[in-house]
Formats: sequence, structure tokens, C-alpha cells
Amino acid sequence: MEEDEFIGEKTFQRCCAEFIKHSQQIGDSWEWRPSKDCSDGYMCKIHFQIKNEPVMSHPGTSTHGQTCLPMEEAFELPSDDCEVIEAPAASQVIKYEYHVLYSCSYQVPVLYFRASFLDGRPLTLKDIWEGVHEFYKTRLLQGPWDTITQQEHPILGQPFFVLHPCKTNEFMTPVLKNSRKINKNVNYITSWLSIVGPVVGLNLPLSYVKATSQDE
Amino acid sequence: MAEEPQSVFQLPPSSAAGGEGLPEVSPEITTPEPPSSAAVSPGTEEPAGDTKKKIDILLKAVGDTPIMKTKKWAVERTRTIQGLIDFIKKFLKLVASEQLFIYVNQSFAPSPDQEVGTLYECFGSDGKLVLHYCKSQAWG
Repeated sequence: MEEDEFIGEKTFQRCCAEFIKHSQQIGDSWEWRPSKDCSDGYMCKIHFQIKNEPVMSHPGTSTHGQTCLPMEEAFELPSDDCEVIEAPAASQVIKYEYHVLYSCSYQVPVLYFRASFLDGRPLTLKDIWEGVHEFYKTRLLQGPWDTITQQEHPILGQPFFVLHPCKTNEFMTPVLKNSRKINKNVNYITSWLSIVGPVVGLNLPLSYVKATSQDE
Repeated sequence: MAEEPQSVFQLPPSSAAGGEGLPEVSPEITTPEPPSSAAVSPGTEEPAGDTKKKIDILLKAVGDTPIMKTKKWAVERTRTIQGLIDFIKKFLKLVASEQLFIYVNQSFAPSPDQEVGTLYECFGSDGKLVLHYCKSQAWG
């Protein structure tokens, strides 16, 4: 019988507070946003990323990687027979917003996210799928019950993409049980986010691990 | 956990099939064909140091995940978590629908692109990096 795999809302808020405390120490820009009546709230992070646009690459350059353009090429003087070197155009910068909310029905945290270009155009679900790390794509596509869907944000009422939480307990329980066996203090949010975040392009810096250890 | 009496084995490159995968298989016959970049052979590895290209990883199972008969592996520093997960999955003969997670410090899942060398520098002790792995049906 599984026990203690759920976290209550108070624990959720406490874990978020500890998480944000470390985030502030390392400049990771997570913040807490209370709901209008301040009874609950969520964690939020905004992150900008340059999206690789193959059609913009100038001849002879291999564009690779999603997160940065080779800076040397961006500032290179154009030669006679080349097109002008692309600078990151506004349409290539994507704004990602990640929200961590508490789900009362599942009693677990849930990751909501949305992405848009700087001109406000939202990314489509297709764009989002393309952004999922290769490592997870096959598995996510296999399971209709644990995928990325679009839902209304419970607090903001706007459409967001959501990583479905129904299997959260399945991967969190072994970790929590294992840690409890050795009396190790684990921040549920840190562990959980380290697992689900990379699926949608959110990678936690390793210093979050050390922060948890120091709390022991 | 006490030091393993068995030898430290070289992790084959990701393209290799990674051994029989049966828990009761003895270490001597899990060696696949020797790849070009790393000698795959049983035998005692000298203690991994900071300047060595390979680091020692000790793999520990969590929950009801099958325990690998060979727990200690010498892995190139540049091997990613994704590569390591793929290897363990093949070694344990997990099906595609089963997800395997690797944890550092027993609680934190490094991202798939994270290099084990970096993790060793941050969390290694006594000349090795301890990683816990856990099987789950979590994703699709």
C-alpha cells in the first residue's frame, strides 16, 4: 500500500518557498505569485530562448543547438556573395513561462507552461511537441494518459499547456520512500521539477541539489 | 554500502548492445564487442582521479527496480545521463514503455544532457559517483 506519496497544500507552499529562496540566491528568477484572494498561489518563472530557425542560416554555416546562436557569426561582416548575416530577429526569441501549481484533486504539483514569440504569437501545440527533448518524445507519444494537453490555468483563467499529473505519484513515491529510509530531507518540489522540467525544456541548475543537502 | 569486491567495468559506447542484462549473469560474460573508443574489458581499474577521462559510477537500485549484477562502471566523463539511462535500460532489458530515472544525491534527477563528469565533480566522493536509478511507468 502506498503511503505518504501525496503532499498537502501547506507542504507544497513550504517546499516552493524553500525552492524560491535558493532560486533567489542563484538568480534563477523563480517567484511566488499569490492568487487574488491570497489563499493560494503558484511558482512562476519566465525564460527567454532563441529558437533555431534553419531558413535564416547563411550559407556555409551549420546551425545547431537550440539555445544559442554562434556569436562570432552573428557579428561577422558580410562577404560580397553572402546574404547579410542574420541577427536574432524578434520572431526567433521565444518567451517561456513555467508555472507550478498545486492540484487539489491529484494532491500533487502540476506544471503549466506556455510559450510565445516576442510579438505575442503563441506557440502551437505542434511547436511545443517539437520542443520536447528527444529523450522523452517516444515515451510521451505512446501514452495518451500522460501527455501535454492544453487547459485553462486555474488561477489566471488563460490557456496553458499542462503536463498531466496523473502519474506523478508513481515516480515520486520510490524517491520519497528511499529518502525517508535514510532520514534524508528531500524538497518535493525540487525533486519533482528535476524530473518533469526537462521534458518541456526546463532544466534545473545542479546547485538546487546542494541546497537541499544543506537543509538537513 | 561497502566497496564492491568485483572489478570496475568499462561502459560500452551507446551503440553497443550492453550485455545479456540478466541479473544473475556473472560479470565476466557481459562484455560486448570492443568498441573503438574505449577498451571494454574486465579488470581492475586504477582509482579514478580528476585528470582521468573516466570516472567510476556506482549504480544503486531504488524501489522494486531490478538490481544490476554489475554495479560499478567506469564511464567517460562526457557520457550524458541520457546515454547512461539508455545503457541501463538495455542492460536490464526494460521495455520501451518503461521509464528509467537516474538520481543524484538520491533525490534529484539530472537533465538528460548532463554529463556524468560534471556530476562527479559536484557530487562524487571517495573516488566515485553514486547514482540511484528507478524504474517507473510514469510517462507514456
